[in-house]
Amino acid sequence: MSLLRNITSGLRSLCRPDQVDRELDEELRAYQEMAISDKMKQGMSRKDAVRAVRLENGSVDVTKEIVRSGGWESFVETCWHDLRYGARTLRKSPGFTVVAVLTLALGIGANTAMFSVIEGVLLAPLPYSEPDRLVVVWENNLHFKQVVWPSYPNFKDWQSSARSFRRMAAMKWRYYDLTSPGSPEHLLGAGISSSFLDTLDVKLPFGRDFSTQEDQRGGAPVVIISNDLWRNRFGGNPQAVGEAVTLNGVDYTIIGILPPRFQFDERVDVYTPLAQGDPLMLDPRGAPAIVSIARLNLGVSMAQAQAEMSAIQDHLVQLYPDANKGLGVSVVPLRQVLIGDVSGTLLVLFGAVGLVLLIACANVANLLLARSVGRTREFAIRAALGASRSRTVRQLLTESTLLSLGGAALGLTIANWGVRPVLTGMLGSLPRSENIGVNTPVLLFTLFVSIAVAVLFGLAPALKNSKTDLQSALKEGGRGATTARHRVQNSLVILQMALTLMLLVGAALLFRTIHRMSDTNPGFDTQHVITFKVGFSPSLTKTASGMRTAYRQLLERLRTLPGVQAADFTYIVPLKSRDNVAPFWIGSQMPAVVRAAPRMMVFDTGPDYLRAMSIPLLRGRFFTEDDTSKSPCVAAIDDVLASTYFRGQDPLDQTITFGWTPPWGPCRIVGVVGHVRHWGLGNESSHTQAQAYYPLYQIPDQWVTGSEGFPTTTIIVRTPLPAAAVIPAIKNVLYGMGKDQPIYNVESMQEIASESMSAQRFPMILLGAFAGLALLLASVGIYGVISYSVTQLVQEIGIRMALGAEKQNIFGMVIAQGLRLALAGLVIGAGAALVLTRLLVTFANLLYGVKASDPLTFIAVSTLLTAIAVLACYIPARRATRVDPLVALRYE
Amino acid sequence: MRDQPSDLVQGTLDMLILKTLALERMHGYGISVRIEQMSKGVFRLNAGSLFLAIQRLERDALIDGEWKPTENNRRARYYTLTAKGRKRLDSETREWGRQVAAIGRILEAS
Repeated sequence: MSLLRNITSGLRSLCRPDQVDRELDEELRAYQEMAISDKMKQGMSRKDAVRAVRLENGSVDVTKEIVRSGGWESFVETCWHDLRYGARTLRKSPGFTVVAVLTLALGIGANTAMFSVIEGVLLAPLPYSEPDRLVVVWENNLHFKQVVWPSYPNFKDWQSSARSFRRMAAMKWRYYDLTSPGSPEHLLGAGISSSFLDTLDVKLPFGRDFSTQEDQRGGAPVVIISNDLWRNRFGGNPQAVGEAVTLNGVDYTIIGILPPRFQFDERVDVYTPLAQGDPLMLDPRGAPAIVSIARLNLGVSMAQAQAEMSAIQDHLVQLYPDANKGLGVSVVPLRQVLIGDVSGTLLVLFGAVGLVLLIACANVANLLLARSVGRTREFAIRAALGASRSRTVRQLLTESTLLSLGGAALGLTIANWGVRPVLTGMLGSLPRSENIGVNTPVLLFTLFVSIAVAVLFGLAPALKNSKTDLQSALKEGGRGATTARHRVQNSLVILQMALTLMLLVGAALLFRTIHRMSDTNPGFDTQHVITFKVGFSPSLTKTASGMRTAYRQLLERLRTLPGVQAADFTYIVPLKSRDNVAPFWIGSQMPAVVRAAPRMMVFDTGPDYLRAMSIPLLRGRFFTEDDTSKSPCVAAIDDVLASTYFRGQDPLDQTITFGWTPPWGPCRIVGVVGHVRHWGLGNESSHTQAQAYYPLYQIPDQWVTGSEGFPTTTIIVRTPLPAAAVIPAIKNVLYGMGKDQPIYNVESMQEIASESMSAQRFPMILLGAFAGLALLLASVGIYGVISYSVTQLVQEIGIRMALGAEKQNIFGMVIAQGLRLALAGLVIGAGAALVLTRLLVTFANLLYGVKASDPLTFIAVSTLLTAIAVLACYIPARRATRVDPLVALRYE
Repeated sequence: MRDQPSDLVQGTLDMLILKTLALERMHGYGISVRIEQMSKGVFRLNAGSLFLAIQRLERDALIDGEWKPTENNRRARYYTLTAKGRKRLDSETREWGRQVAAIGRILEAS
């Protein structure tokens, strides 16, 4: 009630100031009149009475001012006055305003863009209802201390016994060639348990979820499709429910359409019942097979769920020791799994962009300081007229807020139309990058930053200005506080130099890392290799022998194409994310605990693979067309496996056995080949190093046609011709064998190698851009300060010249002044960089082949920065030499 | 020579104005005269602080103001106590009494 009255009364005086003023005036005059007439009744003359009342109460105007300042609206009013006055002064110096707003726009824009990435990827909640209750349940190899995919039988047991979860579900990626309706297309699919969509709390706009009967071996072939696929293939018609699609040669009935934008980790277009999948994958209890998610019951904590799952798992280990010995279980928030390990990199970049903003602030603060020289008189006069110090500071801060809000508006535009699309494009490999955008949290962040920034760059100059010594300022026309101002300006330049050095060092270290990685020999020749996948028509590949023949024929025809030097297929492509790590042992005796056996990467390849990749054969032989499922098992190993596990012995003709239950082998080792970097060109020591090769034609029938069989292989072609020239010929060969056969994922090996460095490349590009921005701002900053000090020193220079100083001396003096600042900044920056660049290693694990304290980088960057500083001082130094001593001295 | 007028104890001006208005409806000048008379000239109000307090009280809905003609045919704003203001006056008076008594006890003890 009284609050309301307070507000309306305040608003009244804001909106109808004249009327309120008139009323107050009348009331006060009535008061005075009454006081005067009282005094006259006591016998004073009117003149004396008026004077006495004046003395007691002050003038009506002063009283009015006092009463007016009592309400909150007076604060609003002064702010408004300050704003208008600030806008007027800024308009009067357009050069200053444009430079300051641009500088701030660059800083704030870069920060807004970076924050929109952080917000979208790290901060925004997952797009499911109550996402904090969603978890992933991994199995945990206690021997290697690694999380692994659970096996399907273990998952089924968890699902029936766990009480901590409202729902538990499983999924597995699948690959589908869609051949009808419409043109053939390769799609990413997923097998999901009938509880999957319910666990995520997804409601289908059309159709229904899988039933438990359908989520069984031999269940009806049904499919749920993504909203995108539904729009593209069925024109968004709800009648699509009930229609058929042909996937991998089988007709599936569409029973449901997913809501728009539904996504789980990757963009998947078709979902099929999990249990209808390949028995080879789902049946063995010892084989890692699926991803398991769950929704916690209300009130159940992560720790409780973990405790219950551990107990269940212990029980499963006792029941099935062969498959489960050495396996634990870990319950992890879904959010953590989906976001992965990018947070370190993103936070380092966010820190870097924050430094850019600091540099921008230092620049604007310097501009304000230089400008304030011209305004010393203005503030002295204000003070003389009775403006309090806080009032002056407030006026100045209002001006800086205006500047920074202008910068924010422009920066937001830059972030939205310029930087952000580039950023999202570059960060395509980031999880959840589809989330990135300018939304309310981003706008709030920008607003907050711009106000914080306004105080940051505005406060120091404002405090300095408001402290002007009145007398000297008015007397001398403003050279009173120059030394103090110099000190602040110099510190700001030193700060800028230090920050710029830090950013440059970070960018240079990443640049050197990428350079080192590109120089690394991956163990094969990345040049002149094209990779792609094909989908054979289902009629050719119904049986294992049909599948083998189809691939053999295709490869034979490819090898006869002009320009093709070698061609073969492989299950795994080095440097790509797919891997195939398996436990192995020498000989045929299975170790007691398979989970504790050493690991190797198994490359299933055709016989020509080694030539296609230019991997050196070190000893023995590689496979031939005669190594088939009917001949004795053979394998090749790499030199790492040979030297690590056959110390001093000859591995040739020994046998090796590998895989989950049931294992493959024993296979006779027929050759030793060079090691290939699979896990990336950088540091790979934390991954499995030993490698083996297994002939694809030797793979048993049931695996060839299985869901992870031949259709998932990649074809490798070595040719000196560019991809664009070869692909049409390859398509001709493929379409000659059947018209409904897509060719997809065409990539050159060099593209794959370059993509494998994206974890380093995108931070390098961003950090490089930030460092470049910093360099630009800092050189403008040092230029500004030095040229300003030259104008201040005109008299001193004049005197020196009059006393016989040479032009070189003056030139040297100015340059030396700039260099002193730059060097001080370099020393401080180098010290800070030594500490901070360590973050690139510990926090984001980005460096390879260079130390965080790499002396070459530090020296090179410092030299560059010094050169830029000298260059920035050159123009003011030249100007200093042109000072005419006569003119300069007459000035005094 | 008579004593110089004293400064009011901080925060008591509002209470005094409320007390003055509890007796009858009054305009600003009336309030200041009444306070000066009742305090026997110890408290003299300056117009600025008086009207600042009146504005505050009115905004807090403790008093209501109304334009009315005066005895000598001018217009002045007359203030009355609201129900809320009466309640506030009661509680402040009680509180004041407690404090004065307490201070008195402390001063006597020493």
